[in-house]
Amino acid sequence: MKKTKADRRFRVLSALFVTLLCLMTGFPLVMTISVSLQTMSEVYSPDLNLIPDALQFVNYKTAMTTGSWARYFQNSLTVTVITVVISLVINAMSGFVFARIPFRGREPLFMLILIGMMIPAQVTLIPVFLLIRSVPFAGGNNWLGQGGTGLINTYAGLIIPYIAGSFGVFLCRQFYMGFPTELDDAARIDGCGRLGQFFRIYLPLSGPVLASLAVLKFTGTWNEYTWPLVMTSGDAMKTVQLALGAFRNEGEVFWNQLMAATLVSGVPIYLLFFFAQKHFVSGLLAGSVKG
Amino acid sequence: MNTRPLRYNRRDTLAAWLMLTPFLIFFALFVVYPIIMNFYYSFTNYDLNRAKWVGLKNYRRLFKDTAFIMALKNTSIYALFSVLALTILGFLTASALNREIRGLRFIRTLMIFPYATSMTAVSMIWLMLLDPSTGLINKALRLMGLSGVDWLFTVRTALPCLIFVNIWKNIGYCMLIFLAGMQSVPVEIYEAATVDGASEGQKLVHVTAPMVRPVTFFVSITTLLESFKTFEQVKLMTGGDPLYSTTTIVHQIYQRGFTEFKMGYAAAMSVVLLLIVLIVTLINVRFGGRAE
Repeated sequence: MKKTKADRRFRVLSALFVTLLCLMTGFPLVMTISVSLQTMSEVYSPDLNLIPDALQFVNYKTAMTTGSWARYFQNSLTVTVITVVISLVINAMSGFVFARIPFRGREPLFMLILIGMMIPAQVTLIPVFLLIRSVPFAGGNNWLGQGGTGLINTYAGLIIPYIAGSFGVFLCRQFYMGFPTELDDAARIDGCGRLGQFFRIYLPLSGPVLASLAVLKFTGTWNEYTWPLVMTSGDAMKTVQLALGAFRNEGEVFWNQLMAATLVSGVPIYLLFFFAQKHFVSGLLAGSVKG
Repeated sequence: MNTRPLRYNRRDTLAAWLMLTPFLIFFALFVVYPIIMNFYYSFTNYDLNRAKWVGLKNYRRLFKDTAFIMALKNTSIYALFSVLALTILGFLTASALNREIRGLRFIRTLMIFPYATSMTAVSMIWLMLLDPSTGLINKALRLMGLSGVDWLFTVRTALPCLIFVNIWKNIGYCMLIFLAGMQSVPVEIYEAATVDGASEGQKLVHVTAPMVRPVTFFVSITTLLESFKTFEQVKLMTGGDPLYSTTTIVHQIYQRGFTEFKMGYAAAMSVVLLLIVLIVTLINVRFGGRAE
């Protein structure tokens, strides 16, 4: 097949475009690593200092001892892991019902959940906050939910609003609809009820969809900033993202330490990303295909 | 309802509702109920102490509130440019990568990296790069003999910087979605185009672009909805300054609701945001051209 001049030019142009884009993406990441290993005098010097004179790993140590980072990591991990586990079970079970059990009103109910999926959490920031604040008997509240702070500034307050997750129900339903119906018949003949059918047959076969959903949910919860911002006060309940956002608030900005903290704050995500990139990508793509 | 389904099995119905109960409790409490309550609060002057019904007063105030009008304007500009840039650049990147290339996996990983990183971390990285005195960008400008720019402290440049950071973070995601769409275009169509003597550029315009139109629609709607939710960047990078030039709708909700505790007023802003999101969603449902 002959290649025309125009085609060659097109190829060169597109290669150039990709190279440029990679540089645009990569440069800030390289600079983040570089600055995290510089001394402050290198940061202040007018030169670019792409490669630091001596690698200042001490920045990481100083950054992590500015504030109680062990505590922040513990908070973030607790909230994220509990959210992921509970929502995964609930989502898978609901997805199974919508995919497999016929009952009156199933389709309208599913439509309602799809609409719910479209409503961004930012729209309901105020009412959800007020709801969490007025949980009865919690945080000094009376039985009407008045007088105290409810579940504000607790793990429960950070976790509960994230559990529903219509997207997970949608994703699991799509996945289960691809299962052969003979599976159900076989289960029925063996005397398996609907609940047993889900736990003994469907759930053990849900590896791929649950892995994708878990990776997405983990990333989303770990990276969340807005909800912890309004939900917590004081240092003890701070999540990693909050601590990172507040790092530069006091006086002089130590950019080298801030960049060290920035990199450390993403470590769980980066680990997940490198070990489960396949699931991360398939989760993103599953979200893009509407059924 | 043309397919009258088999009569519903009573045990199945019971099992279904039983298994849905945990989800429905959370859904009702944290999705449905808050939306209803949001409307209610928007007609009151609730300030965490007592709520008095004030009718449409909050809404009338909204459209005389300079900060909120600026927020509407900024959010629209932010959304418009983010969507245009992300859709076009996402499409172009994906089409450049949609062939046998050495290092494709590496490029793909590199480009999704900012997307997987939290907006907090991304904001910190760009605060460092854009800092007027120690930032790399101004250092580079000065080394070239130009003068530095106060990027995030100048009315003309602050919002464009936020838009740029948003594009930088999300381009990998858009590329990924486009790439998946392009890979599902049958090879035969390209072969036929080649036989007909189409150049690479012509194939891009006359084959790829029309074939991935549903993907283009999906990417633009998704990025549009995301853009209307912008908050973290504003809170962390500019605080809405200078002169309200970077404040957004959600930033105003946060300011009024959680620093001034004007919950009723902030709820009215949330209703406006909800209406915007609903309109976009309706457009999506109406013209979306379902994938299957």
